[in-house]
Amino acid sequence: MSASAGAMRRSSLLLGLWYGLVVLFLFAPIVTSIVYSFNVGSLGKQTSTFTGWTLNWFVDAWNNISLRHAVQVSLTASLWSAIIAAIIGTSLGFALVRHPNPLARRLLSGLTYILLIVPETVIGTSLLLFYSVTRFRLGMPTLVAGITPLAIAVTALIVRAGVLTLDRRLEDAAADLGAGPWQTIWHVVLPHLAPAVLAGALMSYVFSFDNLVISSFLTTPSINTLPVYLYGSLQYGPSPAVYAAATSVFVFTIVLVGLAGLLYRVVLRRDRPHKTRP
Amino acid sequence: MAETSSVATLRPAGPPRAAGRAFDHLLAALPALWLLGVFIIPLGFTVVFSFGRSSFGGIKLDFTFDNYAQALSGFYLDSFLRTIQFALSGCALCLLVAYPAALFIARQQGARRTWLLVLVLVPYFTSFLIRVMSWQILLARGGPIEWLLNITHLMPGPLDVLDTQTAVFIGLVYAYLPIAVVPLYIVLIRIPAALTEASRDLGASPWQTFWHVTLPMSRPGLATAALLTGVPMLGELVIPALLGGDKGVLMGMAISQQYLATQKYALGSAMAVLVLIAVAVMVLVLVRLTRGFEEVSA
Amino acid sequence: MSTPFGSLSRRSLLAMMGAAPASAAISQLLPANAFAAGALNIYSWPDYFSNDDLAAYAKKSGVTPNIATYNDNGALFSKLNSPAGAGFDIVIPSSGWIRQLADKNLLLELDHSKIDFSALDQSLLNRDYDPGNKYSIPKDWGLLGVVYDPGAVGGEIKTWQDFFDAGARPSVSGKVRLTKDAGETVGPALWIQGKDWNTATADEIRGTKDFLKGFAKHVKTFSGFDPAAMANGSIVLAQANQAAARGAIQQNPKLKWVVPGPHSEIWVDSYSIAAQAENVDQAYDFLNFFLSPDIQVKETEYLGYPAAIAGLQGKLSADTKNADLIFGGPGVDFSTLTSFIVNPDTIDVYQEVQNEVQAAAGA
Repeated sequence: MSASAGAMRRSSLLLGLWYGLVVLFLFAPIVTSIVYSFNVGSLGKQTSTFTGWTLNWFVDAWNNISLRHAVQVSLTASLWSAIIAAIIGTSLGFALVRHPNPLARRLLSGLTYILLIVPETVIGTSLLLFYSVTRFRLGMPTLVAGITPLAIAVTALIVRAGVLTLDRRLEDAAADLGAGPWQTIWHVVLPHLAPAVLAGALMSYVFSFDNLVISSFLTTPSINTLPVYLYGSLQYGPSPAVYAAATSVFVFTIVLVGLAGLLYRVVLRRDRPHKTRP
Repeated sequence: MAETSSVATLRPAGPPRAAGRAFDHLLAALPALWLLGVFIIPLGFTVVFSFGRSSFGGIKLDFTFDNYAQALSGFYLDSFLRTIQFALSGCALCLLVAYPAALFIARQQGARRTWLLVLVLVPYFTSFLIRVMSWQILLARGGPIEWLLNITHLMPGPLDVLDTQTAVFIGLVYAYLPIAVVPLYIVLIRIPAALTEASRDLGASPWQTFWHVTLPMSRPGLATAALLTGVPMLGELVIPALLGGDKGVLMGMAISQQYLATQKYALGSAMAVLVLIAVAVMVLVLVRLTRGFEEVSA
Repeated sequence: MSTPFGSLSRRSLLAMMGAAPASAAISQLLPANAFAAGALNIYSWPDYFSNDDLAAYAKKSGVTPNIATYNDNGALFSKLNSPAGAGFDIVIPSSGWIRQLADKNLLLELDHSKIDFSALDQSLLNRDYDPGNKYSIPKDWGLLGVVYDPGAVGGEIKTWQDFFDAGARPSVSGKVRLTKDAGETVGPALWIQGKDWNTATADEIRGTKDFLKGFAKHVKTFSGFDPAAMANGSIVLAQANQAAARGAIQQNPKLKWVVPGPHSEIWVDSYSIAAQAENVDQAYDFLNFFLSPDIQVKETEYLGYPAAIAGLQGKLSADTKNADLIFGGPGVDFSTLTSFIVNPDTIDVYQEVQNEVQAAAGA
């Protein structure tokens, strides 16, 4: 017994080591990008060897109107995308599990997976062609609409996992007590799904903010996104200002998420004044 | 009470069954309609135009297979096959790196597990492009990794990995790793501990337990992870451009070029349709191999 | 029986849901509310105007331009060409695409009475890509040349043949950069045969394929020029424009720059007004501001690319490093330089060759 327990511990250690390396691997570029947003660079461009510390690039990024504007547009578009995905994705996620007709469920399931895997280039070019032919003017609505499919799919899958853990007996009990379907949803189902919906909305925001390929086909003079701006700056060499902008956005996002998490915790505590035995 | 204990049916006890039905249809219709408008119909246009004729920057409706003939000819066919090979390798590598990490997270208990998973997802809060550009800095000559390798004498001398296939695969695994971890994790946590314990009680080593119990039961997760990583890799164009020196022309770039550089929208549409067909085939094959995506039920 | 996440009251759920639109509203309130009508919409390369000059213009005119960015002339063409892509006022096309844009009636014919051409360098005006400057005003220009490390390359480079020969040498092979632009890759191969890239036939263009594919195995990268790569020696021979070369030489003074013979390219990024522009008067106002000599000098110093006014070199401040490199360095024979003009009949052949060269490099 102790030999196998030893083997088990060893394997856990190895797995833990692997996980640690993976985290290091994932965070190395993030740390690099943060550090290099303070890099002096050369002739206004970023360099791979660190040449010196400066805070100027943050100021520079703020003064760069089109860069700041691109960040604004990205923030707005991804927030709207998250909201739409929260609503439509939850609806889809619920339907994926609860729709009475198995064929409908199969079709919806197929649709969800298609949304995830169709390459972005194909979606982007299709949308450009579509709006050209229908003469629908490009703008914020078309940009948001273009990036929602992925967001909806991600939210739907997360919500679906949440719906699978719903205890149907609770809903039946509520119905027994005379609640109509809407009341049941509102008082029983949604609260239970809230974490899944929020997680879905968060991931939607994140993926939408980062969208490059689809966005590049849908930008217009007044609607430019940060990733598209970044990609264009690569042609002639980016300046550390774009790194500074990215670092600022990262900090902003972490703070936002942190606040949301805190709010969630606080609210949770407030709603459970009588702590039940764990 | 007797009524409700009977089962996993979808009938809510109580009257408004008609309302319940309407509700279900609404839930399904909302996403279906939205996606019809912003996703399915535009893709439909692409399919229709793939049979048309391109003029420079214009497109005429027609019915011809010329575009497909061109898209499947010599160079583009090569590019198509190379892209598939590229995606398969990238996907395999990604799964290889993701699996042990997912296994580790799944083995932890309670809140710790959630935090470990969240840690893997935090990188997505930063811009993807900046992270890839940071890899350019990291992998460059005179950059941090070369410095580290030289100091530790692991690989002395200049680091020449940027602008090579190696760098591209590093970038690819990097980009898709979290997406691979999540479905694997979801399936791994549902494998009942009782099974693995039983296996070890019967004398199997951890490796044997993994190979004969864990791995087979995680097949749906592997399939989902493979789909979520391998298929988008078919359209990848940013990482090969930034880390691979833009050598080799993959389908993503080829399609995008028809719309941007040569202005031949019909040809681009045909290529896009071919990629869609390849994607559909891959999905069907994977579904067959793992018999569906349903999670392992307890 | 209790749900794992407590019982969230309706109120608190609503409160949390409200956070999202609230922050959306807040981000709209951030300064520079640039969605106002009566503004000016510019479609350009990123970082192509200095922040200071834009701010100065905003102060003087009260209008802050919206600048959206593209990274490919083809993207500019596609957007302008699409009925969905309305709302552009000023666009910055490269010389090569102006004729195509004009032929499709996507550019406004400029009213010369509204613009002061007198201060501009006359040799940049009335060129073959836009005779009479009907559609474009030069913004800045660049040359296609070669920047290299003479030590690693083992000698001087004077012609494109020298360039191709150098690339094949063992000390250089695998450390070469070619551009991604189809014209700039195929052009040199045509020039060494004495052909002209604007009049070459499809067969002649395809004829360069084998030669270029053979050269491809020496190429390390086609990506955007990275001065750091030349500074640290991972690239020793590169096609580049003069401003990029200046950046590299700044970091590594051993490097040399040359515009190889017998022919090479001069490209001119130009201001144009979109045919569907809604703020035409504002556009002319902006152009006149940016074409004034002081601003042109400042823009040159910011961008590193020479703006279009006459006598610019004399006007730059004395401490501008390597100022002569901004203009291509000494000894450039401008009469041998031509601009590429995109021709719908041959552009796909050019791209075909480029694709196969890039693929051959990756093999």
